[in-house]
Amino acid sequence: MPSRVFTIAARVMRQLIRDRRTMALILIVPLVVMSLIGLSFPESHVLDYIAPALLATLALFFGFLLTGISFLRERSQGTMERLMASPVSRLDIVIGYLFGFFIFALVQTLIILLFTIYVLDVTYHGDLWQIFVFQIVVITGAVNLGIFISTFARNEFQMVQFIPLIIIPQIFLCGVIWPVEQMPDYLQWLSTILPLTYAVDGLRNIMLSGENLIDVGVELAVLVGFAVAISIVAAITLRRGASD
Amino acid sequence: MHQFDRPAVEIDKVSFSYNNLKVIDELSLQVPRGTSFGLLGPNGAGKTTLIRLLVGLLRPRFGSIRILGQKPSRKMAHLIGYMPQLHSLYSELSVIQNVEFFARIYRLTDKTERSRRVEEVIRLVDMWAQRHNPVVKLSGGMKQRVSLACAIVHNPPLLFLDEPTVGLDPELRVTFWEYFTALTKQGATLIISSHTMDDAAHCNRLAFMRDGKVIAQGAPTELRQATGHPEATLEDAFLYFVHGGRKKEDA
Repeated sequence: MPSRVFTIAARVMRQLIRDRRTMALILIVPLVVMSLIGLSFPESHVLDYIAPALLATLALFFGFLLTGISFLRERSQGTMERLMASPVSRLDIVIGYLFGFFIFALVQTLIILLFTIYVLDVTYHGDLWQIFVFQIVVITGAVNLGIFISTFARNEFQMVQFIPLIIIPQIFLCGVIWPVEQMPDYLQWLSTILPLTYAVDGLRNIMLSGENLIDVGVELAVLVGFAVAISIVAAITLRRGASD
Repeated sequence: MHQFDRPAVEIDKVSFSYNNLKVIDELSLQVPRGTSFGLLGPNGAGKTTLIRLLVGLLRPRFGSIRILGQKPSRKMAHLIGYMPQLHSLYSELSVIQNVEFFARIYRLTDKTERSRRVEEVIRLVDMWAQRHNPVVKLSGGMKQRVSLACAIVHNPPLLFLDEPTVGLDPELRVTFWEYFTALTKQGATLIISSHTMDDAAHCNRLAFMRDGKVIAQGAPTELRQATGHPEATLEDAFLYFVHGGRKKEDA
């Protein structure tokens, strides 16, 4: 792996760590959201069913939003232009960002996972480490999706507008709230091309049915494929500045 | 001609448009090595677009560009330094972290050498005392100095500086120019865009730009003499060429 990737990743991490308020929000907001959701379900078996889907959805949501806005800022403050005039490749930038955000998204996911299991007392069957590994793949896709979508936004306000367009439809179409099988055929077809469908199915199979990573190999393969494809597309479509 | 004997910058009939609006119009220019070359013109003349074409951020629709004998590309990007018009710094990071980041990006891999060079350039722009301050807390002029430090940390033979003296107080402007002059004496080539004639007077050679074209080029003295008035200023010379080589009152 080129040293420039690690240089970019280290810089992204250093930027986040120096922004104490953002750091606090990254850690606290998911806990508040999970607490509210957990307390709003009077029936524990309903929460057991929906928890895996929420874990996947929150990983997608926060990974997408944090990376998207941070990447957008890189362009609007002109540092992307400076990087693009340097010997750094587009792929170095995308992978550097992925690594930089990955650690924070991973910590965030671990906190949500442990909070869900030990505080909200959600029952699960699979191995904790397998749930975690599966979430790593979900995060990778989410971070790359954030980078890719940020190329279509010229400011933070526009970036936030992509949440209702990219994330919310997936919550309704990917089996988070109700089973995909209960939807009309054309929406069922649509759900097959959305990554959250595979994230929700895979995590449910691990956490509710006690399956392992090999059992959910198809879902895992689709999510890995999505993460790789979207990182390549993100690198190709990378723009230098917000005004380009 | 061997690539080391060629001019630092060769631009041949380059055109570039944004949304069908021609910003650079069949522009040709050559910049000799070891000179400070000023691109002078009003806002909207095409100076920034030309610099972005030269550093490889944009590709010309027509014509060709050679930088140190090569096409602008990532492979030769280590040979150039670029100071964009925006400060283009990581505001949460400190001065030293910003400069160190760009030193690493330009592969100053030896830690001792990198630390020495980072300290050298931060001292050069007189920001050593503030090296641990986050950029967000610096004044505009200080940010400009840090931006310059980031552009020169890898000691490039060719520097593109887009409006480097904007927002600087007169004292700092003098310091910047002393440094630019020292760089050219060491053999570096500087391409500096500006819309102030103060900057123009410091350059070895100038190109007056307007509407995406070079309307005149030469040494400051040559451009002033071309007006036919020995006491003419560079501003007079610019207006003279804007009016097609006629005195303003004749136009």
